[in-house]
Amino acid sequence: MLDPQTERRTIQRARKGDREAIAELIRAYQRPLEAFLFRLCGKSDLAEDLAQESFVRVIRSLDRFDERFRFSTWLFTIGKRLLVNHQQKMRPLPDSEVVEFRAGDANTPAAETIEAERAQRVSELVGVALESLVSPQREIVLLFHQQNWSVQQIAKELSMPEGTIKSHLFRARRRMLEAIERTGVRNAEELFR
Amino acid sequence: MNHGGDDSFGVEPSGRSGFSLRAERLLVRVLLMLRREAKSSDSVRSRQRAEELADIILSDFPRRVLPFGIAALVIIAIIASLPLLRDYAKGDAGMVAAAPAALTVESGIRQRGAAVSDGIDAIRTMVAPFAAESAGADAATGSDERATPPCDARAPFSKS
Repeated sequence: MLDPQTERRTIQRARKGDREAIAELIRAYQRPLEAFLFRLCGKSDLAEDLAQESFVRVIRSLDRFDERFRFSTWLFTIGKRLLVNHQQKMRPLPDSEVVEFRAGDANTPAAETIEAERAQRVSELVGVALESLVSPQREIVLLFHQQNWSVQQIAKELSMPEGTIKSHLFRARRRMLEAIERTGVRNAEELFR
Repeated sequence: MNHGGDDSFGVEPSGRSGFSLRAERLLVRVLLMLRREAKSSDSVRSRQRAEELADIILSDFPRRVLPFGIAALVIIAIIASLPLLRDYAKGDAGMVAAAPAALTVESGIRQRGAAVSDGIDAIRTMVAPFAAESAGADAATGSDERATPPCDARAPFSKS
């Protein structure tokens, strides 16, 4: 992620059509956005497509970007909206399976190592835990734990009181614990080795 | 990991919450995993994808400018044709205004023509008696002068 000052400068350059600045913005936010969308929809291909579409839309509309806000907030809002639109078009959602995951990049040799397998197990557990959450909780958990947003930032973005966000986080963790307790703990011994 | 502002994290120690310590440790692992997933990757593939996407966005840039170009051309065309439009508008208004003007001019000419012909008649009336006299005089003298060529003309007085 870029610090606010660098981000502002990069956006100004990108507005003028500076290719390197555009690539820099994409590089900085591609992975976080894909991870966020992937954990919301459970499909890596879809997450990748939606992230790409989000970048195209956001960078084309950079002239309208209000620099008082964070670029990431705007980008994630667009990404979420695109996902919601997609889900409305594709109902019913084929979302019941445990999420697939790419531990790092799929084409790295490390994908075959024991460590990668372990990471995949944890990733599956992440899927199980997130599956147990209802819609606003999942988004709040992802924004807080995955994207490192503050409670204030999430409250502002979702137009909810901060207390409600905290309460959602608390309940979400309980639900995730329940889900992990039900499914994850049984064969989790190797995860602690 | 950011827990700023969220004091609910870990408020329920194991045992009191009813969850096993192992489940709680797994949850921590799950949350750490989530965080790791979102970390920007600087791998070759990631960079390559970013470059490709930047190219896609930039290749669309001219198309983005095109509507503005067309709009600018339309504005220029409108501005350039404004004088023509103004003339056309004036032409229509002139047609409407020309009719009363022509009538005014025509009636003016008629009035003046009538006044002129009245004046001529008046002059004729005044001149008529004199015209009759001069016509008589012309008839009395005119025959000699006209009949005799200048070379044969007699002197008006007798030769001495």
